Amino acid sequence: MPIERIKCQWCQAMNEKADVSCRACGAPLDIKNLVSESGWREAPRIKDMTEIRFGRSSCQVEGEIVPVAEINLGQQDSVFFEHHVLLWKDDQTQMSVMTLQGGVSRVLAGMPFVISVATGPGRIAFSRDATGELVVLPLHPGMELDVREHAFLLASHHISYSFVRIKGLRNILFGGQGMFMDRFVTSNEPGMLMLHGYGNVFERTLKQGESILVEPGAFLYKDSSVTMDVEFQKLTSGWFGGTGMSLARMTGPGRVGIQSMYVHHNTE
Amino acid sequence: MSNPPIERSYKCDWCNTVSDGTQLSCPGCGVSIDVSKTVTRSGWIEMPGRRDMAKIQFGNSHLQIEGEFVPVADFALAQGDGVYFTHHVLLWTEPQVKISSMGLKGGWKRLFAGMPLIMTQAEGPGHIAFSQDQSGELIALPIQPGAAIDVREHIFLAATSNVSYDWFSTNVWYTTRNGNERETHYPLGMFMDRFAAPQTPGLLLLHAAGNAFIRHLGPNETILVKPTALLFKDPSVQMHLHLEYPRGGTFSWGIFSSWYYRHIWLRLYGPGRVAIQSAYKHMEENGRNIVNYSQATQAQW
Repeated sequence: MPIERIKCQWCQAMNEKADVSCRACGAPLDIKNLVSESGWREAPRIKDMTEIRFGRSSCQVEGEIVPVAEINLGQQDSVFFEHHVLLWKDDQTQMSVMTLQGGVSRVLAGMPFVISVATGPGRIAFSRDATGELVVLPLHPGMELDVREHAFLLASHHISYSFVRIKGLRNILFGGQGMFMDRFVTSNEPGMLMLHGYGNVFERTLKQGESILVEPGAFLYKDSSVTMDVEFQKLTSGWFGGTGMSLARMTGPGRVGIQSMYVHHNTE
Repeated sequence: MSNPPIERSYKCDWCNTVSDGTQLSCPGCGVSIDVSKTVTRSGWIEMPGRRDMAKIQFGNSHLQIEGEFVPVADFALAQGDGVYFTHHVLLWTEPQVKISSMGLKGGWKRLFAGMPLIMTQAEGPGHIAFSQDQSGELIALPIQPGAAIDVREHIFLAATSNVSYDWFSTNVWYTTRNGNERETHYPLGMFMDRFAAPQTPGLLLLHAAGNAFIRHLGPNETILVKPTALLFKDPSVQMHLHLEYPRGGTFSWGIFSSWYYRHIWLRLYGPGRVAIQSAYKHMEENGRNIVNYSQATQAQW
């Protein structure tokens, strides 16, 4: 007799019929995807106290306004993160530092110079400092995801972390994201990446060659196959000069994630 | 013999739109109408929750409100329909939407008052979306032909192109003195926005920080609100300053009590609607004595 399974609409993971939330990303399984007419899919609201599993570890999402990700690390499992998102930890949870290349570039670009690593067994919890949503992105083997700097909350140790320089002076000056983006890559094993989006988070999958213009401060993540180019539009008011508006043209194929409470840059 | 159809009517407390009440949300502003109205004991009506992805029709276009923490207003503009907005609320747009700047009168005064100099307009066909950068409620206010609404500065998100935009001096101010320095403060801002629909119905979108509440003031009924909490009011509602000087610490009545322990209020008189937001900006207490002010009532307690 075939075993019935439920496919998560957010991350496509298969779950047992009795599950009420996805084991891989925490999305409620009893609520359909909310998709706007324009094609944006709202990130699922993870119910309070939902548990997510990865490797030998688990994560419980606590709270709904500024959610906390509480990780129960299994033996030898680890997660890495930027130290300013750490909320609390058990005394026995081991901490270390990930060695990063390009330290000088990172310092100059205002990116974290130190990425911290917590290794189990033990509990450790993370949160950011603003109203928003936790976005759980299970990464399948062979995936590459680019994330706005400082937007990632934590990632499991099977994910390799690097950063890519944003190309083009215009993109750097008007793109509202600094000089670098974080890049998360999985090779042979799956991993779990958790982001914090300010406000609500929406995702859209662009087809090959399809493009959308996005406020640069709203950009949260994208597949590495999606290209990003900043376009500048001058708005004038005659005698009083004018102002400029930068918009990032994202061109598919691939996913683009945005946040509704965005960081506004240099357009006043 | 069949029974005659039952005529039902529902008037939305938020936007005054009358509908048959059979839908789940108000066709004018999108708030849920199948939930019981939440009214505080003091008479404030809390803006009812809105279902995620609620849709509002206007003209040949429509609007979808997405998200609940920091809601997004996603417009599907039909050919020839348009909206205007201040450029910093633009979240995303489809490339085919035509974006241009809209001239505003009184540039010097707007520049001086810190108001946006440029309104940006977008014309369909295509999708365009807006959001503010703080958590709160998105308020859709349909404006009937001949009606107008006064909105405090920086609350406005977007409006349909058939809504006219004007602004007027609030005439709510006070001057403080600190040593030899005098400074004039405008707790409501120097100007307020006025939106009107001269010919055809229009739609106005506002963003409230935190939760939003509304109340209907009767003729000459008055209420005191913090100036920065005001969201919008009907033009029939009058307003002026109200200053209160509580007895403070070891100081007695007199000039000392007016140094730190003053309360600056906005007094609103009916008739008409008044709406406030729960997350308001605290006014800075720069300056010492209030030495001059616009029309105001006062109280000491």
